Amino acid sequence: MTQTQADTTIQRPATVQDVADIIMDAAQAGCRLAITGNGTRPGLGNPVTAAGTLSLGGLDKIDFYDPDDLVIRAGAGITLDELEAILLAKGQYLPFEPPRYAALYGTDPRRCTLGGAVATALSGPRRILSGAVRDFVLGVEGVNGQGDVFKAGGRTMKNVTGYDLAKLVTGSHGTLAALTSVTIKVLPAPRAEISLVLPAAGLAEDTALFSAIRALPLGVGGLARRMNDGGTCEVVIRVEGTQPGVAGNRQVLEGLLQKRGGAHVLVQEESQAQWADIRELACLHPRADELVWRVNLPATAVTEFVARAREAGCINRFFIDWAGGVVFSTMRGVQPEVDVLRYRKMAESIGAKATMLRAPCAVLTRFGAFPPTSSGVAALAARTRAAFDPAGILNPGRMSLQPQEQGHA
Amino acid sequence: MQMPQPDQSVINRRETLAAGLTRIVGAQWVIVDEAERRPYQCDGITAYMAMPLLVVLPGSTDELRQVLRFCHDNAVKVVPRGSGTSLSGGALPLEDGVLLVTSRLCEILSIDRENRVARVQPGVPNIKISEAVHHLGLCYMPDPSSQLISTIGGNVAENSGGVHCLKYGVTANHILGIEAVLITGEVIRLGGAFLGGAEGELDLMGVLTGSEGLLAVVTEIAVRLEPLPEVARVISMSFPSVEKACECVGAIIGAGIIPAGLEFMDRKVLDAVAALIRESFDSRTEALLLCELDGTAVEVDALVQVVNDVARSQGAIETKVSTTQEERERIWSSRKLAFSAIGKLCPDYYCTDGTIPRNKLPEVLNKMAQLSEQYGLDYANCFHAGDGNLHPIIMYDAAKPGDLEKAEAFGADVLIACVDAGGVLSGEHGVGVEKRDLMTHQFSEIDLQQQQMVKCAFDPGELLNPGKVFPTTCRCAEFGRMHVHKGNLRFADIPRF
Ligand SMILES: Cc1cc2nc3c(=O)[nH]c(=O)nc-3n(C[C@H](O)[C@H](O)[C@H](O)COP(=O)(O)OP(=O)(O)OC[C@H]3O[C@@H](n4cnc5c(N)ncnc54)[C@H](O)[C@@H]3O)c2cc1C
Repeated sequence: MTQTQADTTIQRPATVQDVADIIMDAAQAGCRLAITGNGTRPGLGNPVTAAGTLSLGGLDKIDFYDPDDLVIRAGAGITLDELEAILLAKGQYLPFEPPRYAALYGTDPRRCTLGGAVATALSGPRRILSGAVRDFVLGVEGVNGQGDVFKAGGRTMKNVTGYDLAKLVTGSHGTLAALTSVTIKVLPAPRAEISLVLPAAGLAEDTALFSAIRALPLGVGGLARRMNDGGTCEVVIRVEGTQPGVAGNRQVLEGLLQKRGGAHVLVQEESQAQWADIRELACLHPRADELVWRVNLPATAVTEFVARAREAGCINRFFIDWAGGVVFSTMRGVQPEVDVLRYRKMAESIGAKATMLRAPCAVLTRFGAFPPTSSGVAALAARTRAAFDPAGILNPGRMSLQPQEQGHA
Repeated sequence: MQMPQPDQSVINRRETLAAGLTRIVGAQWVIVDEAERRPYQCDGITAYMAMPLLVVLPGSTDELRQVLRFCHDNAVKVVPRGSGTSLSGGALPLEDGVLLVTSRLCEILSIDRENRVARVQPGVPNIKISEAVHHLGLCYMPDPSSQLISTIGGNVAENSGGVHCLKYGVTANHILGIEAVLITGEVIRLGGAFLGGAEGELDLMGVLTGSEGLLAVVTEIAVRLEPLPEVARVISMSFPSVEKACECVGAIIGAGIIPAGLEFMDRKVLDAVAALIRESFDSRTEALLLCELDGTAVEVDALVQVVNDVARSQGAIETKVSTTQEERERIWSSRKLAFSAIGKLCPDYYCTDGTIPRNKLPEVLNKMAQLSEQYGLDYANCFHAGDGNLHPIIMYDAAKPGDLEKAEAFGADVLIACVDAGGVLSGEHGVGVEKRDLMTHQFSEIDLQQQQMVKCAFDPGELLNPGKVFPTTCRCAEFGRMHVHKGNLRFADIPRF
């Protein structure tokens, strides 16, 4: 499932100036570039046809880390593993819990980069409590499609000085700029963590439980309903904070769960391992020929949505995260032309956003990995993209299908 | 501070334009009369004034859309305005521009308890959301001190913060979706009314937030609601020096604690407040920190203990912890009264908004003392210490010739010191006209050009709130054509306002 042509040249510069020169040359030659970190998520987004690949993996230095000010700036190519280890040494972490999803693409999760996390804006299970990637990106430096090095944002916690281009670049999948460095707000990692695990009931009952728990100020940073290998489902509730805080919240939750027959408790490392699995969608076990979907929707709509989609054969295996706000599922690859449209329609009819995290190139090229937007938003997005990359040479078509490519399928 | 030269030909068309706008919103909602336009002459910065060409108050998104389209078709500039509490001149009118006021768009459209989302119109005052959901045990977290008056639309446009944004984040972190109208009258909807509603889109909502009314007019906002914290307690800590208080800020954060709020007040502020509330502060106190901790009772008790210990070890003279809600409110009242208390000390004051890395607090505060002597103007300090968001209050007398200019220069020097310390010009008040000409100190020509290119994607005719944020016009038509290689200055000839 490679998304760029196999015979492209890969350039891996080690300085920002080199990045700028490569892009400037490409712009002048009218050459399209695939922009990657270490290329660990080739299938996320629409396929890109490009003459060359620009890897930002070589920009992997820490510029500064100021633990007392809760801020770190690093090259976009630093691996998430290295970054998280550096933070952990000071008792801090990335609250947005970036997923790797390398298993989906058969790549090495240890090579996923910070720049990739920001460009894809993938946020993990803690999103319901702590926020998304965009909430922690304080500043960026990048090179636009003309080879200009620009910076946006800053390193302070608050900043309304000019447009927030750092947010705009976050989640732009390399279509606005090649990110060279990122400044991130970090937080003290919770001292204590436990998870309460109980057998799932019906989806409706479980999401009602999620809603009841979220209404309480307990600092619950994870509410998922996962599948076991045996096919049964269980509800997992993550509680984090100080030792006494966690102990207190555990009591409240156990009281609440009594009528569900109680829960067993995973402590610290066990709990962490459980949530790493949830973050990586491990329980989906997608077969090689299956498509993998993410659907974002209001939690109150999830029960009916899943029921209808299963009935229609659009969902094979699935699990729920974000307290019911996201469904991850697999789809059999037998008749994707029919199922993809049907599933998207179902999602659209309730205002949900259905993204293909993995699908065959032909399917992505035909239907687009991301949910379609209104024509007005698409046009504004295209103009915004042109404001960074007028010639359209950076990851062209990655986010929105280019008209000429739509015809191909 | 200089604004773009008003276009007399537009001013001459006032009556015709008023007639056109009247057809859209009705005569009652187009203010032509000069005396009635006067209250709109300025926003929260009274030092800058201009009489708007016309004031228009649409009553629906559809009317607002038609107003924008009308202005676009007639090449008339538009300044959006909520409640006009901006402290950077963002809502400063233009003599040749329509002031578009959102105050009639003030409905809370829906409250979704289960998904914890409220959909509101832009003219809803911030506090109204929390009031409307209080009975559900929920609240809207961002709480600017102006929350009784300032609108959600204005909050989005300024990406406003508040005392509690240290722990909970600023406006941008609490909005899930928006509807906005482009200058052409085109309505766009971004995100949704749930987490992840903008997945797979460029974060246009992110860039609209904090864009100070230059990109589009926000007409509807879906905001996140949060459970009200079970308990909140505040601990007040007095220090014998400003440095000690600043060090304690770093020590609290360094101890792995993110308080709900962490505020700083210096002796001058304390004296001013003391005069107002007839309560005196210990004579050795040079600076006071207020630290709020919230969460569940057990958690808060544990954190209070830690913060208390940290404060003691950092040389606090005295610490006081609230044990009841009344005590908490009493301790906070000093902070809430600070600005009006200072207002009683001097005829006028001017408050800027630079933000710095927390560990640079002592350095920048020292610089301020130095500048105060240099300019011969008194100042006081009361700010969001936990975020490094400074609010120096510079005291002056507008009646004294040259005093305002001195205060402005003092403020500008403070902001420059903030940028030089690794910080930014504005933490929460925005650039507006106030900090506009300092933008080149924080950003390179290319950085600014990249921002202005985004403006061109939204409003190529530069009709929305021109003269704000950027020290030069965008000249959208020319971008892209005049690209010069390898860092040569572009548009060196563009006139400054
Ligand atoms: C006493 C006082 C205390 C304050 N405390 C704080 C504080 O703690 N934290 C903080 O961050 N700020 C604070 N402020 C600043 C100010 O209240 C905020 O910036 C607020 O968000 C402005 O809201 P408003 O409705 O008054 O907007 P206005 O002042 O009317 O407008 C502000 C800007 O937003 C634009 N705008 C307004 N509505 C829209 C819309 N619907 N669509 C697009 N653009 C729009 C305007 O063009 C202008 O550029 C304070 C101000 C005062 C006077």
